[in-house]
Amino acid sequence: MKKIILLLFILSSYGYSAGENACGSLEKCDDFSSDVHDLYSLQRGLGLYMNYCSSCHSLKLLRWNRLQKDLVIPENIITEDLIRTADTKIADHMTFGIPDVSPIGAPDLTLRTRVRGDDWIYTYLRTFYEDSSQTTGSNNLVYVGTAMPNVLAGLQGNQALDKDGNIINVSEGSMTQEEFDESMRDLVNFLAYAAEPARITREKNGIFVILFFIVFTAVMNLLYREYAKELK
Amino acid sequence: MATEKNSIMGWVDRRLPVTENLERHLTKHPVPKKVNFFYLFGALLMVVFMVQVVTGIWLMMFYTNTEEGAFASVEYIMRDVEYGWLMRYMHSTGASAFFFLMYFHMFRGLLYGSYQKPKELVWLFGCFLLFLLMAEGFLGYVLPWGQMSYWAANVILSLFGAIPFIGPDLQVWIQGDFVLSGITLSRFFALHVVVVPLLMIALVVFHIFALHEVGAGNPEGVDIEKYRDAKGMPLDGAPFHPYKTFGALPAIGVFFIVFFAIVFFAPTGGGYFIEKPNFEEANFLKTPEHIAPVWYYAPFYSILRAVTFGIPFLGITSKFLGFIIFAASIAILFIVPWLDRSNVQSIRYKGIYSKIAMILFAASFITLGYLGTKPVNELRTLVAQICTILYFAPFILMPIYTKYEKTLEVPDRL
Repeated sequence: MKKIILLLFILSSYGYSAGENACGSLEKCDDFSSDVHDLYSLQRGLGLYMNYCSSCHSLKLLRWNRLQKDLVIPENIITEDLIRTADTKIADHMTFGIPDVSPIGAPDLTLRTRVRGDDWIYTYLRTFYEDSSQTTGSNNLVYVGTAMPNVLAGLQGNQALDKDGNIINVSEGSMTQEEFDESMRDLVNFLAYAAEPARITREKNGIFVILFFIVFTAVMNLLYREYAKELK
Repeated sequence: MATEKNSIMGWVDRRLPVTENLERHLTKHPVPKKVNFFYLFGALLMVVFMVQVVTGIWLMMFYTNTEEGAFASVEYIMRDVEYGWLMRYMHSTGASAFFFLMYFHMFRGLLYGSYQKPKELVWLFGCFLLFLLMAEGFLGYVLPWGQMSYWAANVILSLFGAIPFIGPDLQVWIQGDFVLSGITLSRFFALHVVVVPLLMIALVVFHIFALHEVGAGNPEGVDIEKYRDAKGMPLDGAPFHPYKTFGALPAIGVFFIVFFAIVFFAPTGGGYFIEKPNFEEANFLKTPEHIAPVWYYAPFYSILRAVTFGIPFLGITSKFLGFIIFAASIAILFIVPWLDRSNVQSIRYKGIYSKIAMILFAASFITLGYLGTKPVNELRTLVAQICTILYFAPFILMPIYTKYEKTLEVPDRL
């Protein structure tokens, strides 16, 4: 009996073939889970986003004033430095005047980390390499044939593939590899925040709700034990 | 009647039997003294049902049931509505909790013979509730209008299209359009928020009234009505209120601890409660790489996919045969009261074959569930086919093994 059950489970787990966790041409994505409670990281992420992403990618579901409140940014920085179009109000969405899918085909990024996963985006941003066969001059290990040019090359430097298909650095950027990884951490944290702004409150306050129910359960259990005595 | 003639309650009671019914269903309704944790799932199901109704009403206030507005309105709820995210996550986690509790509640019924004479109707109403819950879950999953909403609905609706002769027309009739569209969305909305919940409430009432008529069971399968005290209360029984109502409260507390741990810290359930592709708006030009059902449909989806062959000379395609067997996997639960020929109720006193059957059923159900969330390959299809047979075998063979196996003597008292 037990053998049959064991056999079933072995067979079904054997059916779990390799390649399902695959991350594009990589075996798996680098481990990464976002942290939306690191305020400075979110602010740095916003900075990177505005400088490197926002010319093509909109954040059509996130409002400027929500961002201002959650990331604790002075209102004048938003209105004077970040909002570029004259008729945009602070309660508007962060569309930067770009339509949903921009003329060059760049998708909206508000929910991207929820669709792809934090680890996918984090790995994607760090695995661009030079590839002259592509029109953009670069390719990506995670999203092979991506239409996105390597806009971060100035920070990371250029990468290329060696004979074995491993990625190597061929020129220096303005950041060291560690600094660059750290910056991409900030950027993905910011994107994860944009995907679900409520996550900050959710993860902060959830513990109080659970504590309430722990106390509730304890009290109700004492009450029940009083009644259970009569049942004996 | 216990109320004074001149009291307000007396006045009401002479016009509406409130006290009589309170006594009948709560304060004097006898239930077995000793039951185990398996008997708490019914109460928890009531709690989840209420959570779903309340959060559902709130979501309905902000949701837009159009092709253009649905996806954006869900994100509006998540971002701009005060505590909208909480309502939405409670509703989506509630759906998973509903199924989780339902499966345990029904498995309890199978283990302890809660379907045996005279409880057939209680069981039948319960099976209808499972069917309605599955319909409700499916309809609700389409409403956020994400990629998985759209394509999973397409898979299920195409099953109707596989029915010979009438299929294609039937599919168009259900969809209200030649493809799955906003027209389908708004009718699914109407069904999800009005029709199915109303039917569910009616069936819950029937389920409970029928249960109170025949009396609740216990893990021993002992008839508590046999021995009564001078007042007519069964010796092994206790009034439902306060003993069982207060007994359920700690369980409700534990349930909410787990429930809110998921709502606040893992609302997508690792992609099993809310699937990743559903954060992308439905696009009828772009099929997702891998269409997977939510975990609670996975066992049945696995059965559907396990049928890789049809009956060509009868004109039955593999898809239609899969649909039949998939429907049969739920339909077979309805006839369990008439399949069981055992002279005892509880698994504790049934023979070895009943025990093996229950273990096989549970193991195959879990394995099918696991396989249903994964893409197919040859080996998995084979395992799913074996498990499909193991899922049905305990029921199909039930009339034989329950009749001939050796059962133990059931004690007189709890």
